[in-house]
Order: sequence, then structure tokens, then C-alpha cells
Amino acid sequence: MSDAVSLSNERTQMYKDLYRGNVPTRIPVSSAFTLDAMILYAGMDIAEIYWDMTKAEAVFDKVCQDFFSDSMPGGTRRYPSFYQLLGSKPFIMGSTGTMQHPNVMGMGPEEYDEFIASPYDCIIEKILPRLYTELDSDPFSRALALAKAARAHGEEMATTGMIAGKMRAKYGFAAIPGNATTAPYDFMADFFRSFTGISKDIRRIPDKVVEACDAITPILIKKGKIPVKSEYGVTVIPLHMAPYMRTQDFEKFWWPSFKKQVDTLSEMGINVSLFVEHDFMRYLDHLYELPENTIMRFEYGDPKLVKEKLGKKHIISGFYPLMLLHTGTKEQCIDKAKELLDILAPGGHFMFDFDKNAFDLSGNIVENLKAVQEYVYLNGRYSEAERAGNTEPKPRVNRTDEIIAEIDANMNSKYFSTWSQYKEKHTELFERLHSVAAPKIEKFEDVMFNFIINLCS
Amino acid sequence: MVDLKALTESVGELDEEKVLEVLDSFVATNPSEEDAQQVVAACQSGMAIVGDLYEKGEYFVGDLIFAGELLTNAINTLKPVLGSTNTASAGSVVLGTVAGDLHDIGKNIFKSMCEAAGFTVYDLGIDQPAEAFIDKIKEVKPNIIGMSGVLTLALEAMKDTVDAIKEAGLRDSVKIIIGGNPVTKEACAQIGADAFTTNAAEGVKICQGWVK
Repeated sequence: MSDAVSLSNERTQMYKDLYRGNVPTRIPVSSAFTLDAMILYAGMDIAEIYWDMTKAEAVFDKVCQDFFSDSMPGGTRRYPSFYQLLGSKPFIMGSTGTMQHPNVMGMGPEEYDEFIASPYDCIIEKILPRLYTELDSDPFSRALALAKAARAHGEEMATTGMIAGKMRAKYGFAAIPGNATTAPYDFMADFFRSFTGISKDIRRIPDKVVEACDAITPILIKKGKIPVKSEYGVTVIPLHMAPYMRTQDFEKFWWPSFKKQVDTLSEMGINVSLFVEHDFMRYLDHLYELPENTIMRFEYGDPKLVKEKLGKKHIISGFYPLMLLHTGTKEQCIDKAKELLDILAPGGHFMFDFDKNAFDLSGNIVENLKAVQEYVYLNGRYSEAERAGNTEPKPRVNRTDEIIAEIDANMNSKYFSTWSQYKEKHTELFERLHSVAAPKIEKFEDVMFNFIINLCS
Repeated sequence: MVDLKALTESVGELDEEKVLEVLDSFVATNPSEEDAQQVVAACQSGMAIVGDLYEKGEYFVGDLIFAGELLTNAINTLKPVLGSTNTASAGSVVLGTVAGDLHDIGKNIFKSMCEAAGFTVYDLGIDQPAEAFIDKIKEVKPNIIGMSGVLTLALEAMKDTVDAIKEAGLRDSVKIIIGGNPVTKEACAQIGADAFTTNAAEGVKICQGWVK
């Protein structure tokens, strides 16, 4: 076995231990860099690399060479090519090359009923043409624009997938399959009703907001499915709107659909990884109710309180203030890492990560990041005694097939068919070919489904 | 005449239905401009309550957004009876999201709260280079410059903007406040702004202190 392969196995095992509630050999360390910061570090142009991901290999190689991390750094799903081909409004490149999300409104307040009746149809017919100008055209131009964009998206994914594979083979990163989805209320807010729009809706048409969140939940569960069969898949959900709401509003509008989503993903054998953005300290009791070993990366709050309340049931991460890497001395940065390890490491259930990821390299971040990562690598180790309570992981419940079949069957859309719906309509397809045709037909239905939902989040 | 105190409270409670009902029946009585100005002032006092509740942690950003919307609706309802006389402005603010950053939710909240407090606000929009700030300063001679940003790279752009304002010889004519998620005391000193805030209500108070 090559060094990189055994290193990858060792690292993968650390995550697997964690995800099943066991104490790993040491605390996994993540990078603080976004792809933007990595490109700056490699001395290249952010906008140019985003447009030509084949050139990103040199960027990844340099960063992986110079910085320690157990998981692959960087990564993006915001490629400008397909957004540009579609005339995107929700995601556009700023003047520095960073992809950003302006406050957009793809859906009007009068459209809730239509949305609730069939979210997927409403998205395709009404919302996407508003968010993407190239889809607001005649049917032929629209079809061609979507085809070009989907093709571009596929190519970009393949390019970054290939680079990730190479980096994993060379640097021995952990190999854990992953995916991402969005919390239902956040999904309704982010691209559809906007931060401003939904803040009005919950006061003017509260019941419709609740119904819309319920209607979109199955779609967002399906979106979070791990694409390959795995016992240890991780689906990331960045949490957005909850801290900006009153607790009573959160409990009525935000939490119920989200809870259902995470519970269901857990029944699909998935470890859900939450990026707990901004201040969730009011909601720790709610977070406690989520399935065991849900991963929670905190941007803000009191690490002691979080460890005390959630640290035995869930996996805690985050809290390290990125800004300190930019502005602090090396000593201050290491002291902070020590302080967080002292609070959060005992008993496991902890991964080291920053409160947010860096977009730029101002100040002392390069030197400080190296120092902090090295400190955690050397000091974040668990003794045999600390690992003595580890147990053999039990096989997880995995109801993925059943859950997804039910969601697909209830999609209630002109634009989505299950295989059995499809074959009923397409009697021209010879029955003897059904077994080979079915996986293809289903696969591309799902490819387009994922692309469409990706365009909305 | 309207029960001004009750109106202020309704605005503070963000009870849109009640506020608009009161204002509609007020407008229907064809009131004098002076009475209408008093009603506006009552609504503005309601916004101050909203700001206080926000600072106390009883309201959150979503509530501030709704409050801004409520005030805009209230003023629009009152427009027919407000007449054309300009009321004295509390001061003027040139506001924008700095270069490289496209976020504007925080900026817009600050804008609506400044307007509610009687400031005249010139909103440049998002991703604004230093020159845009300078041109506007020359044009409208504001009391205050507000720079907003969410990304950490915005801090760099804020510094560039302040430097450019200095170079243009305009720094002494304005107060500068920076706002948004990444701003801190340290960043404020480094950028050379006069004040920083991550809290729109507090930002308005700082601005009010400057124009007293």
C-alpha cells in the first residue's frame, strides 16, 4: 500500500469513528481556505481559474503541498460558466472574481398556492425564467440554453472531480462521499421570496409559508441523497435564516420542516453536517433534538455551553475565529487553538474547524494557518485510555430506497416521472429492454432534477 | 385626530394591519399638513421602539426588514396629505456597498432606519468603487459616509475607499461609518473610519450623535 493510500485510510477511519460516536485516534483538521483564497495563494487570477477549472490543478497542488489538512481543501459548486450561459441573477461574479448571491426574488407572494400545489412545476415554469434570463425566452432558445448549461455544469464537475481524485491519491485525504442540500425555509427565502420578501410573508400570509416549506421538504430531502451507496455519507446543510427570526417565528416557520428533513436524511443512513451560521445560541435545545452524531459547525457562540449541551450526542466543530488568523500573532493563534481544544476535545465528538472560511489572504493568515494546523495535528491526539469506550459500530438503518421511491411517486409534476410512470407512457420501448433502459432513464431524470434544484439554491 | 401614542405603539409592535387602518381613516378626514407631519413623527417614534427592541434582542433582522416595509407603506399612505413642503432633514448620508461585494440586505435596513430617523440618504448601490463615493460626496456634500460589506474582502475595499477620500481632500468634510458582518474595532482603526457597527439601530444612533 502506498503512503498516500494508507494515510487516506487512516484519515477516513478517523471520520468514520467520529460519525458513529467513537473517539478517533486524533482530531481531524480542516483547511480554512475557500477556493478563492487558494487561487490567491497560488498567485493566480480568481476569475480566470473559475472560468477555466483545468488550471485549478496547480492551485490545489500548491495549497495541498504547503498546508496540512485531513480533508481536501477548497472546492466549489458555483462555476461561472453555467450561470453565465443561463443569464443568472442569483449568482454572479463580483468585480474581484468572487461568486456572490445578491438578494433576488424569483417568486411573488401571490404564487404560494401554485407553488404548494406542485413545487417542481412552479419552479420550472415560473421561477427559473425569472432567475435566469436565458430561460425567459422562446421554448427552443430556452431548451438550448438549459442543455448548454447542464453540459457545462457536468464538465466542470468532472474537471474538479478529476482534480480531487488526483489530490486524494497524492496527499492521502480522507475519502467520505458527500452531498449538500438546503433547509426548507432557507430554500424558500434564498432565491425565491428573498430575505426581505419572506420576512414580510410570515406576517402577512403565515399559513402559506408553512405549507410551502412542507411542500418543498421532500424535494430537499431527495436533493440531499448521497449519490453513491455508503455507510458514511455526509450531507451538508448550511443554515441561514433562523438567527434573523424571533424564536416564536423560528418554531413555527423554520424548525418543523428542517427537523423532518434531517430526521429523514438520518433514516437514509446519512450523517447530516450543519454549518450553523451566525448566532444559534437561542436554539441549542432545538439542535439537541436532532439525530445522534449530527455534525454542527458553529460560526458563533459559547463553545463551553455548546459542549455541555450537545457535546455528548452530536459532533461539534467550528468556533475558531478566522479573523484572528488574519490579525493575530502566531502565539495568539496557537493559544486560541489550545483554548478550544481544552474545551471541545475531551471525550471526542469534535472536529477542528474555523468559524468560517477565508476568501482572502490579508494579514498573517498564511503563517498563522500553518501554525494552528500543525498545533492541532500534534496536540489533538487521543490516548488508548480515552478510546477504550469505543464500540463496534452497528449497521445503520438505511431506508433510502423506500424513502426516495415514495418522494418520487408523490412528485406530482409534469416534468418528473418515475420509471413506472415513464414506461406506461412509452409503450414503444420494447419490454425486453426495460431492465437496461430503466437505470438510464431514472439516472437522467435525477441528473436534471439535481441540476434544477441546484439552480435554486 | 389620531391617537398618536397608540399609533407609535402599533408601529413598534409591527402591527401593519392596525397601522394602515388608522392611517387610512386619518387620510380620509382630509387633515392639515401639520397634523399629517405629527402622524409621520409618531410613526418615526414607532421605528425608534423597533430599534430599541432589536438592541434588546427581542426583535431580529427579519423584523427590522418588515419594519422598513411598514414605514414605507405608512409614508406612502400619508403622501396625499403631506403636501410638498420639505421638512428639515436630520442630515445626509451617502451609502453604498463597497467594491467587490454584492450584498445589500444590511445596507438597506440601515438605509430605511436612517430615513425613518429623518436623514436624507443617497444610496449608491452595491459593488461601488471609491470614485463613486467621491463623486457623490462632491455632488451632495453629505455629513456622513456609510460603507457596507459582508465579505472579508470588503474590509480591504473599505480601506481603499477611505484612502481615496483622503487623497481627494474630502476626508475632513465627512464622518465615516462602516457596517457589516466582518467589521470590528481593529478593522475600523486600520481602515481609518470614524465608527463601526454590526447593528443598524446602533449605527443610526451614532449618526444622530454626529449631526446634533
